[in-house]
Amino acid sequence: MTIIVIVRKKEYQFEGKMTVKHILKELDLPLEAYLAVRDGNLLNEHEVLSDGETVRLVSVISGG
Amino acid sequence: MSTMICHKCDQRAVIRMHQHRLQLCKTHYLEWFVTQTERVIKKYHLFWRDARILVAVSGGKDSLALWDILCRLGYSADGLYIDLGIHGDDNYSVQSQVYAQDFAAERNLNLQVIHTKESFGETIPELARRNRRGRVKPCAVCGLVKRHTMNRVTYEGGYDVLVTGHNLDDEAAVLFGNAFNWEANLLRRQAPLLEGVPGFARKAKPFCRFYERETAAYVLLRGIEYEYEECPYARGSTSLYYKHLLNQIEAEQPGAKLRFYVNFLKARKEGLFSEVKSDESDHYSQRCSNCGQPSTAEGLCAFCRLFDR
Repeated sequence: MTIIVIVRKKEYQFEGKMTVKHILKELDLPLEAYLAVRDGNLLNEHEVLSDGETVRLVSVISGG
Repeated sequence: MSTMICHKCDQRAVIRMHQHRLQLCKTHYLEWFVTQTERVIKKYHLFWRDARILVAVSGGKDSLALWDILCRLGYSADGLYIDLGIHGDDNYSVQSQVYAQDFAAERNLNLQVIHTKESFGETIPELARRNRRGRVKPCAVCGLVKRHTMNRVTYEGGYDVLVTGHNLDDEAAVLFGNAFNWEANLLRRQAPLLEGVPGFARKAKPFCRFYERETAAYVLLRGIEYEYEECPYARGSTSLYYKHLLNQIEAEQPGAKLRFYVNFLKARKEGLFSEVKSDESDHYSQRCSNCGQPSTAEGLCAFCRLFDR
C-alpha cells in the first residue's frame, strides 16, 4: 500500500505516513503554489496522509 | 503531528494564511473571504451598492469566485466571456466557456459570450500570426482585443463598472515587472480602481488583496467547477516567472507579497509617483475613425489597426 499523489496528469507514490507539507517538499513544489485535496476535501499543510490514500495537488498559479 | 484547529472555532482548519497569522475551518474561511471582499470594495471605493456590474469571466478560478461572491453579497452582476479561439491540447477556450456557461446557468445569471472568430473574422492565434506584435506570442494581441471588447461591452451595456478577478499574485507580479524595469509611468497607474473617463469604463479589482491560493481554496470549498488548465500560451511567460520568484521570497518571509503590494499602494497614495509625467501612451486625445473608442493618434486605434490589411 502506498500514498498516491496526483499532480496535473502525473502520478507519484510514497510509502508510510507523510504530511502534505512533506510531500510538497519531496516533489520540490512550493507550498504557496499548491493546494491538497483528498476525497473532495481541502487539506491544510499539516494534514497527515497514510498508505492507501490518494491526494490531488492542485496548482493555484495561473495567467500569463 | 497535532491537528491544525480553526482560530474561530474548534473545527479542523482547512487553510493557514501565514501573512494574516490566521487558520480557518471551511465555514469560517468562506465567511471570512466574503467579508474581506466587501471590505476591499469599500476601502478602495470600487463601486456602490446598486451599481450595474459587468464581470470579466474567463472560466478560471478567480473570475468565477468573484462572480459568486458578488452575487452572494447581493450585487447586480452580469458576466462577459470572450471566446478567444485558443485550443491547444486541452481545447482551452471551449472548456473555459463550458465552465462559465454552466456556472451562469446553475445560478440563473446573465452571461454574454463574444466569439472573436464571429465578431472579428479571426481567432486570437490567427490574428496574432498575421500581426507583427503577435508573431512571437499572441499575448499582446490577446490583451488588446480583450481590453477593447470589455470596454465596448461595458459601455454599450450601460454598466457602471467592469470588474476583473486579478488577485494579489497577479498584481504583485505586474508590480515586480514594472519596478524591475523602472516603468515609472506604469507604476503610477497601477491601482485597485481605474476611474472611468470619457471613452474608458471604470475598472475595479476586488480580489487585489487575496493570494492566489486563497481564491483557489474558495472555489474548491464552494464546489465551483473551473478551468484548471492555464492558457497554452502562458507557459514560460514572464509573469509566471515573476510569480515563481515572489513565491520563493514568500516561503522565506511569510507576508512578503502582501507587504510588497500594500506598501506600494501606500507609497503611491502618499505621492511617490506624483512627479512622474504621463507619457504618450496616456494621451487618449483622439477618437478612432472606425470604432470611436479613444486613441492616442489620429486615424485608427491600436485595436482597429490589427484588422487594417
